[in-house]
Amino acid sequence: MGSHIELMNFRFFFFVISAFSLFLPATSLWAQDALTWQDKDDNWPAKKATLQSFGEQFASSMDLYKALEQAADGGESLDWDDMAKAPYDWSGIYTRTGGGLSFDPDIRGNEMTAQLTSAGAATRQRKIDQIDSTGGEYDPISDCRPPGFPRWATEPFLHEFIVTPEQTWLVNEMVNDVRRVYTDGRDHTLPEDAYASANGDTIGFWHDDMLITHTMYLYSGQYQRGTQPDYSDQVEVVERWRKVNGNTLEADYWVFDPVNLSQPWYSRQSWTELANEDNFLRIRYWDCQENQNNDIIEREDGTSQFPDFDFIENDAEVSNDEAVR
Amino acid sequence: MKKISFFALFPLSFIFSPLVYAHHSGAMFDGGSVVEVTGKVKEFQYTNPHSWLLVDVTNEDGSVTTWGFEAEGPSTLMRAGIRKSALPPGTAITIRGNPMKDGRSAAAWIDAMVDGETINPRNGFAVIPASE
Repeated sequence: MGSHIELMNFRFFFFVISAFSLFLPATSLWAQDALTWQDKDDNWPAKKATLQSFGEQFASSMDLYKALEQAADGGESLDWDDMAKAPYDWSGIYTRTGGGLSFDPDIRGNEMTAQLTSAGAATRQRKIDQIDSTGGEYDPISDCRPPGFPRWATEPFLHEFIVTPEQTWLVNEMVNDVRRVYTDGRDHTLPEDAYASANGDTIGFWHDDMLITHTMYLYSGQYQRGTQPDYSDQVEVVERWRKVNGNTLEADYWVFDPVNLSQPWYSRQSWTELANEDNFLRIRYWDCQENQNNDIIEREDGTSQFPDFDFIENDAEVSNDEAVR
Repeated sequence: MKKISFFALFPLSFIFSPLVYAHHSGAMFDGGSVVEVTGKVKEFQYTNPHSWLLVDVTNEDGSVTTWGFEAEGPSTLMRAGIRKSALPPGTAITIRGNPMKDGRSAAAWIDAMVDGETINPRNGFAVIPASE
């Protein structure tokens, strides 16, 4: 009899545990501070390690994003009345708070926090060797080509962030660069119709004053110039944005790249609203053809698009300028 | 046609260099050297992505050399307090920069003295937050 009661108790206990486990994923996310914002304070290294470990639990960026979305019950719907509330008022002119040319703003120079695969490490080394041997490197932004995402997060200069109920626009002054985050419940472009681009395709949802996003279908690129590593065209990113005070936006980044990263790369990005009392700071068009980034196009007759320059060795004979002839 | 001024050529010169795409790295400038010249502002190209301040410098023999000083674009200059109107043509200026490695008369703009006041375009990277 006693053993029967023990067996019943065990079965009841097993039932309770099994039933509880149905809710475990969401519960565990909350318990792991996945959806609770972590302030960047003196205890930041430990918090950062926790956030890094959190990302490492997921095999893919989509697994992470879907887990967060599920834990948030699909997210919250906003309306235009919400836009006047402080958490959604991202108005103003911002710039990256710090970090220089490091993707992880907590590190400097040649330091690394990314856990690279052997292929990723080799790619980075080739980049370093190239710089050492030539003193320079190709950077697409010199041609006004987009920096691409996730490098987008590291670019300096001015930013604007426009929150609407169904979309959030993340604007970088440099090369007129706009990321659109669709928060109207749509999914990513279907794989069979998807195509890669510099900023990819970003969807998101709001939860507890935070904007959680997922980005995929990206070009390969580099996290930044210099010794920062590269990412492949399989890179995908989960972001968690929040306005942490009256003039600061922060975002957790979990970057997944099966080619170059052996583990997702976590970092905390930050942008500070700039003082702009006279409203002189404005985002203007960014055109590399305006000055020294110009390419010279040699025409068939040896002239170029610039009236003062041609490719003709002895042009006196062919010049239309009588004084030159 | 080939009797063009240096500054007609200078902006174009990058295309002929292996460092043509590396100007953002500052690789063409000698960061270990500083050149200082005194002259008058010829032109302030207040443009994205980079601005150029052209300064006419009168040499001892009376000839004039136009120097170019590269800085960041308008928004960064504005953050440094350097508006386009601050340096109209003819403004007397003493200016310092990291010179081109190949000896041409251009430099990465470090700072300048105008009307007894120092202006520094690189101050534009300072993050001065808005009030909360």
